[in-house]
Amino acid sequence: MARTRGGDERPHSSNPELMRIRQVLIRAVERHCPPGLAAHREDFVQMALIRLLDQPAGEGTATRGASYLWRVAYTVVIDEIRRFRRQQRQVQQLATGGGTVPGPEARSAILECIEALQERRRAAVSLHLQGFRTPEVAAALGWTEKQAENLVYRGLADLRVCLEGGEE
Amino acid sequence: MTEEMLRERFLASLPETDGSSCPPPDDLWAVAAGELPFHRVQALLGHATRCAQCAEALGILQEVRRASAELPARTPPELEGRRRAMGRPLVPLALAALAGVGAWVVLRMPAPEHAVVERGLAATPSLHAISPPALPARDPVLRWSEYPGASSYNVTVLTPDLVVVHHAVGLSAHELRLPDAVAGRARGAELLWTVDAVLPDGHAVASPTFQVRLQ
Repeated sequence: MARTRGGDERPHSSNPELMRIRQVLIRAVERHCPPGLAAHREDFVQMALIRLLDQPAGEGTATRGASYLWRVAYTVVIDEIRRFRRQQRQVQQLATGGGTVPGPEARSAILECIEALQERRRAAVSLHLQGFRTPEVAAALGWTEKQAENLVYRGLADLRVCLEGGEE
Repeated sequence: MTEEMLRERFLASLPETDGSSCPPPDDLWAVAAGELPFHRVQALLGHATRCAQCAEALGILQEVRRASAELPARTPPELEGRRRAMGRPLVPLALAALAGVGAWVVLRMPAPEHAVVERGLAATPSLHAISPPALPARDPVLRWSEYPGASSYNVTVLTPDLVVVHHAVGLSAHELRLPDAVAGRARGAELLWTVDAVLPDGHAVASPTFQVRLQ
């Protein structure tokens, strides 16, 4: 690759893995972010991949394996989204003359019921409600799939009872 | 109440936070990868179950992890050689497919009238391209606006399929002349470029991604 004053050598080989990562990230951001943010998905991913290529660690990804590349790509795209949100907040704060973002203290019945669950059930249900599948819950928490399934099932049952109790 | 209803209710109830206490994304990955002890997972989930942005990050995480898990297992070298030999008759087909994908990537880009991917906020100072979207291949000079207070600029030039072809750091001027080797290779093609304005405190402000065609 060419170099300019102060420049440094970068890998020049085409990487089909990056193309795949790009597609997956764009689709994921589109699905999970609110529309105003999702509209910038191509930008987030583009910038994330540029930063990924910019990182010295990214150059050694071939030896660390493809999953490492996915991991770094994920972290940089989330960083990009957070950075964008920070900018948005700063502009909003300037416009309104102060912060208006509700803090984590905001309450709701379902969150209170989750908090009241027994701790292992709470962890299992939290991951389950975040969209983790049973094998993924098991992997995250170091349990067998049977344990995870059982704890999700019991946790959801407790959650329903708690919600029904609160709504009576 | 069905699980789907519970999930929808849960996600809808998550408050927006100011993001200051969100765990680093690598920690979220580490949770999913089962790399953290239970008490740390609990602590992270304690935050993530009260934060809309973290729920969003976890949603993206699952898609990325599932896609990365779909990767084919690494092929042993001895099989690799055999497969390569078997695959030779398919090379022209693969090249044609690659060319098709490349053409799609280039053609789907909007016309380079104002070839700027919108990014950032209008209320904040921003970097924008000053050089036109088409440049002569014999003397391609990328130019951009000055960013207030920037001490230097870094420029990255890529192909539409995100291969970095040139990277320059520590530029004091607001312009970059592409080396002949890069310009020669990219003649008649489109390139993407971005600028990072580096501030004295080390922070960098990223520009949108610009496009340029070398003629």
